[in-house]
Amino acid sequence: MNGTLLRASRSARWTGAGRRTPLPLRLALVTLLLSAGDLPGQEGVTVTPDVFRRYGDRVVRIQVVEAGSAAKVGVGSGFYIDDDGRLVTNYHVVADLVHHRDRYRAELGDGTTPGDTATILAIDVVHDLAILQAEARPHAHFTLGPAPVQQGDRLYSLGHPRDLGLSIVEGTYNGLLQHTLYPKLHFTGSLNPGMSGGPTITAGGRVVGVNVSTAGNQVSFLVPVDRAVALAARATAPGYHPPDRLLDDVDEQILGYQGAYLENLFSDSTKTVDLGPFRVPTEPATFFRCWGYVPPETDLPYKRAEHRCSTDDEVYLARGQESGVVALTHQLITSTTLNPSRFYALYTSVFRRDDTPSGEEEHVTGWRCSTRNVRHDTIPLRAVVCLRAYRKLPGLYDGVIKAAVLGRRDAGLVSTLTLSGVSFENIERLTTRFLERFTWP
Amino acid sequence: MALILEVLDARTGEVRVRRWLEGGPLTLGRGYDNDIVIDDPYVDAHHARIGLDEGGAFVIEDLGSLNALVGPDGTRQTQVPARAGTVLRVGRTTLRFQDSDAPLPSALRDAGGRVGWFRVPGWLGTTWGQLTVTGTATGVFAWNTWLGTYEKSGASESVSTALGLLMLVTVWAGVWAVAGRVVVQRFRFLAHVAVTSSAAVAALIYATGSDWAAFVFPDNALGRPVAIVLGIALVTTLVAVQLGLASVMTRRRRWVAGLVTSGVLLAIAGVVRLAEERSFSDVAEFSGTLKPYPAALLPTGRVERLGADEADLKRRVDALVATHE
Repeated sequence: MNGTLLRASRSARWTGAGRRTPLPLRLALVTLLLSAGDLPGQEGVTVTPDVFRRYGDRVVRIQVVEAGSAAKVGVGSGFYIDDDGRLVTNYHVVADLVHHRDRYRAELGDGTTPGDTATILAIDVVHDLAILQAEARPHAHFTLGPAPVQQGDRLYSLGHPRDLGLSIVEGTYNGLLQHTLYPKLHFTGSLNPGMSGGPTITAGGRVVGVNVSTAGNQVSFLVPVDRAVALAARATAPGYHPPDRLLDDVDEQILGYQGAYLENLFSDSTKTVDLGPFRVPTEPATFFRCWGYVPPETDLPYKRAEHRCSTDDEVYLARGQESGVVALTHQLITSTTLNPSRFYALYTSVFRRDDTPSGEEEHVTGWRCSTRNVRHDTIPLRAVVCLRAYRKLPGLYDGVIKAAVLGRRDAGLVSTLTLSGVSFENIERLTTRFLERFTWP
Repeated sequence: MALILEVLDARTGEVRVRRWLEGGPLTLGRGYDNDIVIDDPYVDAHHARIGLDEGGAFVIEDLGSLNALVGPDGTRQTQVPARAGTVLRVGRTTLRFQDSDAPLPSALRDAGGRVGWFRVPGWLGTTWGQLTVTGTATGVFAWNTWLGTYEKSGASESVSTALGLLMLVTVWAGVWAVAGRVVVQRFRFLAHVAVTSSAAVAALIYATGSDWAAFVFPDNALGRPVAIVLGIALVTTLVAVQLGLASVMTRRRRWVAGLVTSGVLLAIAGVVRLAEERSFSDVAEFSGTLKPYPAALLPTGRVERLGADEADLKRRVDALVATHE
């Protein structure tokens, strides 16, 4: 998601933003659209304390501690959904347990007394949800079900912002997000790190969504409650046993999720955009968002323009590792004054720039690349394909396809398609489809 | 047939004095009243005398000197018969007796400044010639740097790059020139500068050629071996030529030294490369340069060929999964 995940971590830094993903542009755009005014809450004056008093005990603090040192590595929130002590939280709150079951454990409670531990029952990595099983029985619980709401309805979000104690945040329901692949609710209210996994409810105590991320300035996002209902149904089905290795579930869910996601990318009806003398694909699917960027006029001996598209649907896998990022970048350079040698020196420098997603050795292998000159119709392209594998999730790869259009002495185009956390078959198929969308106008 | 005395230089072994021996006695020593003056602090003022014995044969006798006459086996002697082939030492100076008709190796052919088929023009040996070579090389580097820049500051950048390179060249040449001054008493600084900058230009020509080759035929299997062979040839030649300027080594030994040097450099480069390949990095390398090459002449494959490349990459990264790099 384009927001910041709401888990408080040891450094109190917000987690979730990738190093080289083109987020600042998007965040800046989102930020500019809203003024940071306070929400008026006339009737809330009486309702909010009431909501807090009635439902506060159904929300629990979840802290992830390192088993050896008992050091707290992250704090999030969760809420009980039945008498047996099952509770809902975000996958990203407990991701450390999924990756290193022996190294971390989840503790419930205020953190001052040795808390009950909880184990993971089921995960939905795509929608960022997890069902945990607490040891002890809860005093009270929410009952999950459909919650009819409409845009503008007042909602109350509960959780432990920055591990400062249970808090309530009042805000407004603003419907489903547009242009996302999987559903997300837009909640206008200040969600903060640590509130991840907490519920957002109506005044009547119906859960509407699960707190998941924020883009700052009151723009916050929730996982719709029906996703939690579906996952809870799976976890409570008769005969269900949590898998021995939850990472296999992660692997399977990511691979399964791609079917719908990548099937129609760069299909024949994909839009194109004219950049200088080139016609290139844009908006690979409806859930992509595209921006153009032209730097201000300067006295440089060349001109640049950029066009980028990316999805908002990133899937959090582990600290510093996101999946499902599909990004498309076109960089155009033109010059009327540079001679061909100097122009191609510039072209080379743009081509060589490393804009691959970052990664840690724990999760991914190093990149391996190969280069080839290819021709589609009459367009000669220099194409580099780079690949790296996920160490713990077999079958998942990151791929980068970079192409430069050759043959012009005054104009050049470097196009990059970045696919992260996808199957090899998808990388292979999308490489061809992507490059075959290049044409002359 | 007559006998000839040769006095050899203590260090280089070159002949300093050559004297036709006649009947009369001949004295040797450090004193100026000798027939042959030997500037050697280990030699007495009146060290030895060469004369005829009763049988009319040449003989050299010690005049009671401190260090006496020393034979080839290191023994002190007071009187030695002097015949063709006799070698002995006075102090640290070697005396050798030769026949006037001793056999000689045949004369060397004067190649007239040729190196193999290449005729080295005479002006290259002059100061102006060497300055011209160096200046041209600096100019070539400045021009090449300018072709690689695209900002407004390109001209000043290329001049400073070329001057920086020239400085490196002069440091390298200075080391060689000083070494030459020590070994053969000749300080050939400009010649070393000219040779080094010529080698730099050769390296530049090779790098440019290989860039173009890698552009037209990317990822080809020939690139690496050709680079290694040409690199060895260049370093070997450079070292051999500079040894020629700065030492009295034979041609064969110079080339061997050059080969050994390039072999050591190659081994170091190999170790560095291996270490780089083994270490994990999340930065991808988009290597190679783009060239303004006519697109019509560019050999290209079909887009589908990239699928085969990717399958190959998949095998390589799959192999990396288990091994933490």
